[in-house]
Amino acid sequence: MLELRHIGAGYKSLQVLWDIELVVHQGEWLALLGVNGAGKSTLLKTITGLIKPFAGELRYLENTINEIPVHERVALGISLVPEGRRLFKGMTVEENLLMGAFWYNDRKKEKEQMDHIMTIFPILKERRKQAVGTLSGGEQQMCSIGRALMSQPKLLLIDELSLGLAPVVVDDLMETLISIKKSGVTLVVVEQDVYGALMYADRGYVIQEGRVIQSGEAKKLLSDPIIQKGYLGA
Amino acid sequence: MLGLQVIINGILSGGLYAVVAIGFSLIWGVMNLINLAHGSMIILGAYITYLITDKTGLDPFLTLPVSGLILFSVGFLTQKFLINRIIQASVFMTLILTFGLDLLFINMNLSLFTADLRSITTSYAGLGWKFGDLAIPYTRSGVFVFALILTLGLFLFMERTRLGKAIKATSFDREAAGLVGVNVSRVYALTFGLGAGMAGMAGSLISVVYSFSPVVGATFTMKSFVVVVLGGLGSIPGAIIGGLILGIAENIASVALEAGYKDAISFILLVGILVFRPRGILGKKFYAEVKES
Amino acid sequence: MKKTGLVSLLVVAGGFFLLCPFFLNAYVLRILTNIFMFAVITQALNIIAGYTGYPAFGNVVFFGLGAYGTGIMMVKFQLPFVGSMLVGSLLCVLFTAVFGLPLLRLRGHYFAIATLGLNEATRAVVDNLTNLTGGGMGLSLPLPYGTVQANTRFFYYLLLGTSVLSLLFSAVLIKSRFGFALRTIRSNEESAEGFGINTVRHKILSWMISALLTGMAGCIYAYWMSYIEPSAVFDMTISIKSFVMLLLGGTGTLLGPILGAFFVEGLSLLTWSYLLNYHIGILGILIMAVVIFSPRGFIAFLKDRLLFAGDPFTLKNREPASGRRPER
Repeated sequence: MLELRHIGAGYKSLQVLWDIELVVHQGEWLALLGVNGAGKSTLLKTITGLIKPFAGELRYLENTINEIPVHERVALGISLVPEGRRLFKGMTVEENLLMGAFWYNDRKKEKEQMDHIMTIFPILKERRKQAVGTLSGGEQQMCSIGRALMSQPKLLLIDELSLGLAPVVVDDLMETLISIKKSGVTLVVVEQDVYGALMYADRGYVIQEGRVIQSGEAKKLLSDPIIQKGYLGA
Repeated sequence: MLGLQVIINGILSGGLYAVVAIGFSLIWGVMNLINLAHGSMIILGAYITYLITDKTGLDPFLTLPVSGLILFSVGFLTQKFLINRIIQASVFMTLILTFGLDLLFINMNLSLFTADLRSITTSYAGLGWKFGDLAIPYTRSGVFVFALILTLGLFLFMERTRLGKAIKATSFDREAAGLVGVNVSRVYALTFGLGAGMAGMAGSLISVVYSFSPVVGATFTMKSFVVVVLGGLGSIPGAIIGGLILGIAENIASVALEAGYKDAISFILLVGILVFRPRGILGKKFYAEVKES
Repeated sequence: MKKTGLVSLLVVAGGFFLLCPFFLNAYVLRILTNIFMFAVITQALNIIAGYTGYPAFGNVVFFGLGAYGTGIMMVKFQLPFVGSMLVGSLLCVLFTAVFGLPLLRLRGHYFAIATLGLNEATRAVVDNLTNLTGGGMGLSLPLPYGTVQANTRFFYYLLLGTSVLSLLFSAVLIKSRFGFALRTIRSNEESAEGFGINTVRHKILSWMISALLTGMAGCIYAYWMSYIEPSAVFDMTISIKSFVMLLLGGTGTLLGPILGAFFVEGLSLLTWSYLLNYHIGILGILIMAVVIFSPRGFIAFLKDRLLFAGDPFTLKNREPASGRRPER
């Protein structure tokens, strides 16, 4: 579904990703792992178009999408839940969710999707008229995921799902992601919590200093000695 | 009665100041860009109205759509080809850039219209309502009404339309806005155009009650600063309140002190508010967190 | 090695300027004098805006205060020039003492606007105190003694000397602990406090120095022109021009302000002579071009070419052009 071929990317003065080769299969849950600063967020930003790669090819559904601007990618079905939520602070929960539906501009679809999201995250229904700044961390994350889901994505990218959240909340979210995946959405989840991520994912990639150092099925990665030593503290 | 007249004059001026400041506030709040060319855009709008009324005898209020449209295009194109290049830079840089732009506009106005003071006299110029000692001129009331209409119009636009929401979202978080499908650079161009268009129409209103020349634009930019700081950045209700406060304060000052201190009042207000209550009277930032440079 | 090259270049340039009055005509000398004046103003601005990071947009208020301080002393109290200049400069220092505390609490563009407001308010007040200042009709100062030629040379050397002095003063300042504290404040004011730097005192002092130098330029200007009016000495264009000079030359560098002054004033006067009707617009275009194409200034550009590596105090512009911090 998504393929990164020899991708090099970074910021004006700093190259972060080097020669990344990565594949995402349709319908799977892919975990992107690595420590702080390894380049995971940069990778997601490159996929969504917030960053343009210096080198390499980004292929999505058999098309090269390097040149497609960020605001057109959501229409392709690529949606990002950014690190730190990045909700629209001056707006209500409902307004934030509606912004997720911005690209298709269809009242009926909007309402359907909204109802659907409210079913997945009932707490959002309760708080729909509240300003997002008043929500707890977990609720904000739900709102952010909800906003991304409103755009009817085929590929949902989530950057740092568990950051700053209580484990109980994270577990809930993970379970919710399972049902989202069941509805046909492909998931790419960036996580620092390696164990948690691999428990739920189908496959995983491990990024270190901007390069892929390991990849494979999640279960296999869990028992991989390199992973165990470097990331699981064995 | 004098007191009441002063207050009424203040309110009438205040409404005008609100619409003068609103385009400035929008651009600053959404794009984090302080448009020092704002005053010159206002003056350009005034000249457009002057030209039309001079040549066709049309009532100046009817020229609003024309000045609005022309300035919108000017603003849109300026942003797209010029300002867009530095949109990521610090506010400080944008200040200097727009100052340069302002000089360009001033020169253009000077070349096209000369430095002579212009004014517009309508058929109903000296007339108005009279309630005992109170005088409410038709021109000023007309300006006030239209100012409110424009302000309300912009408010509804921002709150109710799809584009308005896109602009708001962009002002809160441009990257997140891009992620949900908002074409941010188009939004910026439209916002700047909108701000310029509002300035142009404000200029048309100005031409009815003040005389103007290419070099007086800076005064209006300064007043817009004061209104924004008083009422809070990016807030349309704030602009109204800020405008009213400024209008009333100025009118009281011009009666209580010598006439020359009228302008000084706005700056003293500005400095005072900045020092004691930088979030403005309303204390809310509606559209954007003020980004430090 | 590079450093001695730089120093010898400066010595040669200094020598050149010392000898100019002997072979250049009065018109060119006046242009140079004007450039030196701007060099002082920009160097002063560099201290508060470049090194401390507080963009004092309305710094020209001190130029005006210096000018009027001098003017009033000479006209109303018959004080000689030197004494009047002292008073003018003192006035500037007093101003920062009074307004520094409230205003320096603001940051970034709010500070910029506040100083702008300060300038405009001061101008309006000066304009209105007609009995003292002559108001809108301006103030005529007593003419300096001596022939026109002698006076031209006098002011040339006076402003050349002042600009050299301000350059040397900046050089000493920036290498001192005080200068280091200023730059720390610029990078991260909160951390600076954490290091035990009394940021309030440092900021006020920094602005005071900046005001003093700017004021001195104003004092000299008043005596030089023999006539001042509020709209001329409290003119925002002077402030903006010096900001452009600072930008063009490179903020936070020693020679930047001077190079910037030469370039901008030079261009400004050229366009005045040949394209009078458009000189305002051309200045505007120049300003925009500088901001768009070389936001980090000449010095940064030259640094890659001539390797000013010897000057350890060549700092980058505060904000990266992209405005984004590199990812963790």
